[in-house]
Amino acid sequence: MDPVGVDEDFRRQALTHLDALHNLAVYLTRNGSEAQDLVQETYVRAMRFSHRFQPGTHLRAWLFQILRNTFLTFYRLREREPALSEDGVPESGSPMFHDAPDRGGEQTEVGTDLERALARLPEEFRTPLLLAEIEGMPLEEVAHVMDCPVGTVKSRIFRAKERLRLYLKDYDQKTTNG
Amino acid sequence: MANEPETRYDEDPELTRLLRERLPRHPAPGSLRVAIVEAITPAPRPRWDWLWLAPSLVGAALAMVAVIGVATMLPVTVPGDPIQQIARAVVTEHARTLTWGGEQGVDVLPAALPRAMEESGLFVTKLFTGDDDLSLVSAAPTFVEQHRAISLGYMGRDGHAVTYVVMPGGTVTLPEVGRVQIESWRPLVRRESGFSLIMWKERKSNLLCALVADLVSDDDMTRLKQYFVKVRSATELSRTY
Repeated sequence: MDPVGVDEDFRRQALTHLDALHNLAVYLTRNGSEAQDLVQETYVRAMRFSHRFQPGTHLRAWLFQILRNTFLTFYRLREREPALSEDGVPESGSPMFHDAPDRGGEQTEVGTDLERALARLPEEFRTPLLLAEIEGMPLEEVAHVMDCPVGTVKSRIFRAKERLRLYLKDYDQKTTNG
Repeated sequence: MANEPETRYDEDPELTRLLRERLPRHPAPGSLRVAIVEAITPAPRPRWDWLWLAPSLVGAALAMVAVIGVATMLPVTVPGDPIQQIARAVVTEHARTLTWGGEQGVDVLPAALPRAMEESGLFVTKLFTGDDDLSLVSAAPTFVEQHRAISLGYMGRDGHAVTYVVMPGGTVTLPEVGRVQIESWRPLVRRESGFSLIMWKERKSNLLCALVADLVSDDDMTRLKQYFVKVRSATELSRTY
């Protein structure tokens, strides 16, 4: 990395998105230390290629795009992402991360099911859903991150929610029956 | 999935609320923030007035290595070698004669020789003044290694100058290494600074004698040895005091 020459204001603004980037990194990698590595690599790359960032555009979307591309390049190649079935849904549930904040009682239980259901979504569905619904990012920015049209983003979010409801209902039934 | 049909953006408020309220967020730990800030913040630039230090140290080190390297390649001289010091002094005398021109002519030489003897403290009882091959052209007092001496200049038929230097022998002893048998004598023959020397010592008078010329090839050296025989056999000096 060559941080020399990077504008101080650029550095400061980039750091304001650290929490959001780390949050997505956790949901992508499902591993605390790997998430930290991913975020750090994202910032290193952002500083290295800061000259490519066009001032006036959305820095947040640019950073998320770097993070996602880095994840796809390094982590997906390592087959951390579960193999997709023909319909784009993982064949089986993946083990959840266990370092989620403990909120206690019902919330923890619901949160755990929600996390488990979210983890079963393919990355193409999970990332736009998190960016739009959790980070509150406009669909245009999500489309920039995903490098696809806005319509495709809407479709993926729709299908992501559809599957989430299905998985949550499945968990609910198991809990009721159990 | 890039060509999947555009579907309406599902506004499921219940699921959206569930995601936003129940899905735990994972803020970056403090250690990560510190690590990233350190990684992307440039190190403070060194003060410019210290920038000379590194290249200066490198330069000094290189100079030291160069001095050591050159010193090991320099010719080693034995500081206490009197023969070499005398040889160099004789060569210097010869070079001085060549540079300033010592040829005095037949009308001056008879007067120059007594003066040279008087000022050098050496008395010439018998002198080779020349033949068809070699002619005496000058006689002058001189100093060799802080000793008064006499310098006799000869000129060869082929134009080579030969200088014959005689000085007090003192305690100087000629080494055996480098001695060459020339007729009944065994003088020391050596090369010094591009000149050839034949040195010998008169035991009776304890005078150190040297014949020097720019005769360095094998043929020239043979001629110098012939000159040595002429001078050595026909010259006799002693110390007046």
